[in-house]
Amino acid sequence: SGELYCSLPNPRNVRFESLNMKNVLHWSAPEGTGDGVLYKVKYSVYGVGKWIRKPECRNINRTWCDLSSETSDYEEQYYASVKAFLNGMCSDWMETTRFNPLTDTKIDPPMVSISSTDKSISIILTAPEKWKRSPEEESISLLQVYPGLQYNVSVLNKKTKKRWFFSISNNTLVVPWLEPGTAYCVSAKIHVTTPLLDSGFSKEQCIATLKDK
Amino acid sequence: TAGNKIFHFGACRVSMSMTEIRSGFTAIKANIQSRDPIRSLSILSHPHSLHKVKTSDRCCITHHLFDFYVDKVFKHCKTEDSFVNRKISSIANSFLSVRRRLGQCHEQNNCVCGEESTEKFNQILANYEGLNVTSAAMKSLGELDILLDWME
Repeated sequence: SGELYCSLPNPRNVRFESLNMKNVLHWSAPEGTGDGVLYKVKYSVYGVGKWIRKPECRNINRTWCDLSSETSDYEEQYYASVKAFLNGMCSDWMETTRFNPLTDTKIDPPMVSISSTDKSISIILTAPEKWKRSPEEESISLLQVYPGLQYNVSVLNKKTKKRWFFSISNNTLVVPWLEPGTAYCVSAKIHVTTPLLDSGFSKEQCIATLKDK
Repeated sequence: TAGNKIFHFGACRVSMSMTEIRSGFTAIKANIQSRDPIRSLSILSHPHSLHKVKTSDRCCITHHLFDFYVDKVFKHCKTEDSFVNRKISSIANSFLSVRRRLGQCHEQNNCVCGEESTEKFNQILANYEGLNVTSAAMKSLGELDILLDWME
């Protein structure tokens, strides 16, 4: 394949970056090489001997490659590898550590929608969906992937600065006995106890309880 | 205790400190897996995935696997790293109590072994015995998350 002499420095920090099981291989360019470096990528399923080339990431000059489709079965574990080319020279294949989509992904915060009455706030939480190949594909909520998924919800009384924390498994929370005509701010995150996974908190949303009738 | 999880295998109920085991394994996963250079062989997941085991066989397979890890894996996983060794023995201790509980279930006939689970476990043993003891034990330890993922 025209690989002459593999003395090019290696790609560095080859790793998977995964969010909601969108699994993208990333790496850094070999040290001391300017522009013009090209790369190719291969991956393998752990326990199966074959390395499989990724055609869409052959002779690319970017330093990432989306392997979400190839690593979508989260009951399997994977390796990926990158090789660099420049002026007829090449590097060694540089591998990731073993990638387990189930434990090594990061999770987005939940979607939060809130409404209020005069004395309560209702909060509806929606877990993010697992990455999917196309919009037509059936959606899989991360709730189905992680049955032990919980929501940690923070509610702040903007006037008194008093904050409550709730930890719930179902996706609806009603906070009662609130002060009418008062602004409350809500933020939520996802917590999975095992495997241990935590999202960040969602962007704070504020709503006022209705004034007394 | 916090992080304990109750597993139901038919009439057999087993409590397991899953969070503790998971965090122990996560702390040493990269270290242990880097000692296993063989990509083309898996002890637990190929050619037959644990995820294909029938519900009725889950208890038996789990019982076999805990025996397997206690009797054939942990004791052969000494490393030069005391941190790693401590984590391994902590995981091993957690496995010991679960194995004892599963053994009781087996004695009380609540953990029956069907043909399929016996065959599946024999495949796992064959994979294990295809390597030298230390490599096989280290590879099996590196696959602990496969077992935990399947259990959960």
